[in-house]
Amino acid sequence: MENIAEYLKQERSQEWREEIRKSMKSKDRTSKVRVHMPEEDPIERAKSNIEVNTGLTVQMAVEEAQRCLDCPDPTCMQGCPVSINIPKFVKYIEKQDFAMAARTLKETNALPAVCGRVCPQEIQCEASCFYTLKLKKTPVAIGNLERFAADWERNSGAMYTPEVAPPNGIKVAVIGSGPSGLAVAGDLIKLGYSVSVFEALHEPGGVLKYGIPEFRLPNEIVDVEIDNLKKMGVEFINNFVVGKTATIEDLKEEGYQAFYAGSGAGLPNFMNIPGENANGIMSSNEYLTRVNLMNAADDDYDTPVFLGKNVAVIGGGNTAMDSVRTAKRLGAERAMIIYRRTIEEMPARVEEIKHAQEEGIEFLNLNSPVEYFADKKGRVNKMRVQKMELGEPDASGRRRPVPIEGSEYEIETDLVIVSVGVSPNPLIPQSLPGLDVSRWGTIIVDDKDMQSSIPELFAGGDIVRGGATVILAMGDGRNAAAGIHKYLQNKNK
Amino acid sequence: MMDLTTNYLGLNLKNPIVVGSCNLTSSVSEIKKLEKNGAGAIVLKSIFEEEILMDAESQLREAKENKFIYDQYSETLDYIDLHVKEERLSNYIQLIKNAKKEVLIPVIASVNCVSSAEWTSFAKRIEEAGADALELNISLSPTDLEIRDFESTIKEIIQKVLAQVSIPVAVKINNSFTHMARTILDLSETGIAGLVLFNRAYAPDIDINTFEAVQGRSFSSPNGYAEPLRWIALFSDKVNCSLAASSGIHTTEVIIKQILAGADVVQVVSVLYEQGIEHIHVLLSEIEKWMNEKGFSSLEQFKGKASSKNAGNPAVFERIQFMKHFAGIN
Repeated sequence: MENIAEYLKQERSQEWREEIRKSMKSKDRTSKVRVHMPEEDPIERAKSNIEVNTGLTVQMAVEEAQRCLDCPDPTCMQGCPVSINIPKFVKYIEKQDFAMAARTLKETNALPAVCGRVCPQEIQCEASCFYTLKLKKTPVAIGNLERFAADWERNSGAMYTPEVAPPNGIKVAVIGSGPSGLAVAGDLIKLGYSVSVFEALHEPGGVLKYGIPEFRLPNEIVDVEIDNLKKMGVEFINNFVVGKTATIEDLKEEGYQAFYAGSGAGLPNFMNIPGENANGIMSSNEYLTRVNLMNAADDDYDTPVFLGKNVAVIGGGNTAMDSVRTAKRLGAERAMIIYRRTIEEMPARVEEIKHAQEEGIEFLNLNSPVEYFADKKGRVNKMRVQKMELGEPDASGRRRPVPIEGSEYEIETDLVIVSVGVSPNPLIPQSLPGLDVSRWGTIIVDDKDMQSSIPELFAGGDIVRGGATVILAMGDGRNAAAGIHKYLQNKNK
Repeated sequence: MMDLTTNYLGLNLKNPIVVGSCNLTSSVSEIKKLEKNGAGAIVLKSIFEEEILMDAESQLREAKENKFIYDQYSETLDYIDLHVKEERLSNYIQLIKNAKKEVLIPVIASVNCVSSAEWTSFAKRIEEAGADALELNISLSPTDLEIRDFESTIKEIIQKVLAQVSIPVAVKINNSFTHMARTILDLSETGIAGLVLFNRAYAPDIDINTFEAVQGRSFSSPNGYAEPLRWIALFSDKVNCSLAASSGIHTTEVIIKQILAGADVVQVVSVLYEQGIEHIHVLLSEIEKWMNEKGFSSLEQFKGKASSKNAGNPAVFERIQFMKHFAGIN
């Protein structure tokens, strides 16, 4: 930690940084108002898949970067799971050296364009910004600036490809190509390992592709990042289910010496209420995967998804918001969130709730489904919901929903998307009897190296955390890459 | 060969000894042992609504303390109570299915509920899993000031469950109602197949050395049998449902007394913890011995023989007589 502090101090004392700091008085910096991220018109965007946030212009980005005080003790970095050198990249933006800003991001973050869009900065770096902590003002828009730098680089046509060490001939298998898998692959390829990423679906990207809709994270952006990893030498093997297509033992025989399980939490939970097996009731995982990755909204494809008129999405998290906003874009006349607490208790990001409200999503808060009904063909046509009230707080500190007896009523619906959480993918744990797993089915790993009870197996992301954020998954990937490197160096001494 | 068969909740039991809901009935291996040792039926360990809520709370706390488990923005933890409940209920459904595969005696599921909100649909799943009957252990807290009419709430729960299932439903109540006679009669007319008299309340105690509240005696007291005896004797002729005597059933003599009062079965638990499950054999052979001595060849011949209606001095079962006795009033 002392070394990091020293490194940051040296970086901060570079001449160009000092010049930038001196170019404007702190008082003038702090008097600036946070630049608002421009957004597409809600009515227009709700009819298409265009990205909601349109990104900062150069002028806006520089203006926002000027707010950053380049603190000697950059507390914002403590809130970043991958320890991006935040003041350095922000000051490069202020200096209008956007290429170097992007390169700074890539020192520790393999997917800056992704993180700039989907990270919950309000509880991470921006929550630890000097403006938030000390000035009680809106923080520097670190996430928006991150996105700006990454987009600028991509659009410049001169993407920086990090340098890669000469191959050391040691093979590492990465299971899953989501954010943690991509992060571990990026770090290990830089160290000279031969890295193969095994993906169960037909395209790499994991939750970034199947889980996050185009209007929040265009697939093209993920593809660019994956292409960059390919350029660095990472091999992607699609349609390969480790644990089914081949076991870890099989892969060992193929010469793989270490494994990283980043297979995610793709097992959807349901409420198990009567009628939930009717046609037209599905998990948000299925719905979003089919729409985002299998073109299910297009009739010309083999697996179309039913386009509901009255769509009910059960839950109040980000996945619920993604699902209901997708349904709206696919033509739902009534797209509803049915949530058993109030908006204050919703786990979704404030920004996602705001966007959903702007787009005309109906929020039926303090309501919970108790039964579904189907027509003669077995297709859902109605649901019974019960009104709730808030009781005493539970262990999470949020008030518990309590059903109001006799308050049940019916709602017509022809598509129900259940978004009440996920469980870890059980394939890897089931195929390895000696693997320690928690009561939630997550793989137990050590704090630092992300090493499991099976020495050659490391893990991170949702299969360790049970459903987390992109950036936390990437942080796990980076820690695991360091752990795998240490393990393999000792093994191959 | 004595005929100990009895009909309880419309089910034919080979004898009147039913093992009540307890840890002994929480696994298939134990249930098989109980059948082997002669139990006439078993009531599965109750699935407790309150325990599920407590488990969900504990998981939330554990998740918050666990460095890796993600709790902010987590949809899974937002619905953890539902997931915990489903896990518990699925395990319970599996227990019913496995028990039904392994034993021939009736398997009675048991739900300990404090509200009607979420249990009616579970009753349906219990039926589908193959349970022979369902015992509702309705534990409305007497300290809950929100509940103003306990009897109505209980009846509401019963009606909701009966609307869902066609298997027999028994209701286990405690002995603390304002007007017990009215309660027993009213409940017996709701359509239930049986009443279990009585549930035993959790006994609190205080450790005088540590000054802490602690759990009191876990087992029933041998003297506890008089309460079910009184009400079974008073109502066995008046209700159209089965009656089970529960609490304080420790000896053969008490079992016989309850049947004489009109009980169709007795539920035993504490005595099996104290004497071992092999003791069921002892109880059964002693009942047969007594029947032989009294010249009975079947249980039906003496069931209800000393009920309030048939007893020589029926007033002994009425509370007023008890008071008169101690007051010296003739």
